[in-house]
Amino acid sequence: MSTLLAAPLAWLLDRMFGEPRRLHPLVGFGALAAALERSLRRESDRNQTQRIKGVLAVVLLLAPIAAAAQVLASLPVVGVAIEVLLLYLALGARSLEEHGNAVARALAADDIAAARAKVGRIVSRDAEGMDEGAIARATVESVLENGNDAVFAALFWFAIAGAPGVVLYRLSNTLDAMWGYRNARYLHFGWFAARLDDALNYVPARLTAIVYGVVGNFPRALACWRHHAPLWYSPNAGPVMAAGAGALGLKLGGDARYGGEWKRRPELGCGKAPRHADIGRALALVRRATCVWIAVAVGIQIGIQWAITGWAHA
Amino acid sequence: MPEHGGRLIEASRRYGIAPAQWLDLSTGISPFAYPLPPLEPELWRRLPDEEDDLTAAAAAYYGTSHCLAVPGTQAALQALPRILAARRVAVLDPTYAEYAYVWARTGCEVTSVPEGAMGEAAKNFGAVVLCNPNNPDGYVFTGERLAHMRSELAARAGWLVVDEAYADISGGVSVASEAGVPGLIVLCSMGKFFGLAGIRTGFVLGPAEILARMRDELGPWAVSGPARHVAGIALRDRPWQQAARQRLHAARDRLGDMLAACGLESAGSTFLFHWILHPDARAVQDRLARRGILVRAFDRPQALRMGFPGAERDWKRLDGALREVAHAVP
Repeated sequence: MSTLLAAPLAWLLDRMFGEPRRLHPLVGFGALAAALERSLRRESDRNQTQRIKGVLAVVLLLAPIAAAAQVLASLPVVGVAIEVLLLYLALGARSLEEHGNAVARALAADDIAAARAKVGRIVSRDAEGMDEGAIARATVESVLENGNDAVFAALFWFAIAGAPGVVLYRLSNTLDAMWGYRNARYLHFGWFAARLDDALNYVPARLTAIVYGVVGNFPRALACWRHHAPLWYSPNAGPVMAAGAGALGLKLGGDARYGGEWKRRPELGCGKAPRHADIGRALALVRRATCVWIAVAVGIQIGIQWAITGWAHA
Repeated sequence: MPEHGGRLIEASRRYGIAPAQWLDLSTGISPFAYPLPPLEPELWRRLPDEEDDLTAAAAAYYGTSHCLAVPGTQAALQALPRILAARRVAVLDPTYAEYAYVWARTGCEVTSVPEGAMGEAAKNFGAVVLCNPNNPDGYVFTGERLAHMRSELAARAGWLVVDEAYADISGGVSVASEAGVPGLIVLCSMGKFFGLAGIRTGFVLGPAEILARMRDELGPWAVSGPARHVAGIALRDRPWQQAARQRLHAARDRLGDMLAACGLESAGSTFLFHWILHPDARAVQDRLARRGILVRAFDRPQALRMGFPGAERDWKRLDGALREVAHAVP
């Protein structure tokens, strides 16, 4: 089925129901991946072996599920519904809003302890000891980054490759979140998961950056992207967050503490340090961007349909 | 304004210890200050003369004729944003807080950049500002890296600003002698190695047109006559410099050993201070202060910066205090 209806429908489902609270398939997938890692990875393995096993694990997990998605989506009658359902499961726009708003509300009520607890659920850095500025900054960064990961990149891969595309993307993104760390445990085993996620996000991240600019301050978003993204240590988060920071006129990045260790991170963007009200602005930016993405996706589909029909009639 | 070390009077009020009782290790100023020569009364009466031999002395010392005496590198730093046409400035993180502050207050867009991304910053920004070796963590950029960054910047009419306040001019770190090439500005201080922070004298090294504009910005008689006189003598005194260098390097080793013996690991150093990571640095600072020893503490990450004592009894005092404190704050 075409994106024409599936994307708006899935988006609507996400808006109405949010993430399934029970029996989320990604939870099951995570357990499966953890079990596979346990049975494959050995501490004693050499680096090269770990890498090969990492590739094997990713392929074993992704290929059958993507193939199944392809088969299910091709079924007559129910195939359409399954496509919409899979895209809905991959989208996390409402969940993003809920988590972001929860932090913003706690900060607005001057409840720092609650705000730390809430922000700890969406970022991997240490929430302990964060002040309002650090909490707002972490939340805005997470909102901008997830605007790509949980919304746009999913829509992008759906538009490009349908149900298997979005399933592949979402699961690869999950594996990256589980294994994509540069620590002793995952440096080699998680290498492929991290590279695959980088590759799948390369184009969507840049399109996200452009659209953040379009629905925010465009010249500033482009300037921050150009100047600050190359400083960032992750090739896709850099453009997304730098352009988002520019679009909003905020200064993001800077030092953050992970697992008790301070990590030196470059600053991104320009303008003021974020405060709690900026979380709402970031969420609104992602909302506006989502509308643009869906409109563009539908527009392209209509264009293609129209071209095909026109060509067939010619 | 950013906080700095050396605020002895404030500390003495806070801890109820008279200023003279303190051992101040909070600044990274050499404890072996250049012994002041007697000053002619004429020096106080006359206006300073820029045609004196200070510039020649500095040229010989830094190995370049492209130098200008300034009333402290801080004054030069504050004038630089007006002189360099850079709108986007990358400042090393962490470093001396004044760089970011002075550029931001003139309306420049300042971005803090960790050491690892400085090379990228050189490709994108109008100016890149760093301290080498770095204050407070002692990080050293190699000459090769600095040369690469400078050429990237110079190709786009940008600037690499290197503060060499803590550089040992003969230690292989300094790029002072290259000054004059496009895109490079080096700031040098009489305050640290020579221990003459009070005379507020330093040098800006760079292309002639920058030095001319700096002179314009600072106005005539910017450096006082007595300061010019003392600085000139100190810069020419090679035997003293050689001896001071040896004493400082010995002090660096001695403090490193002393810290290690107390379980405080030095995570970086220059020949003027040690940088010590400690999970409860503020508590260590507080306990040392209660014993009349002033050090700088930093928060992200928690760390201490400690200059060197000079006199033997100060070393003993520090050693005793460190042992007690290390025992109390594990």
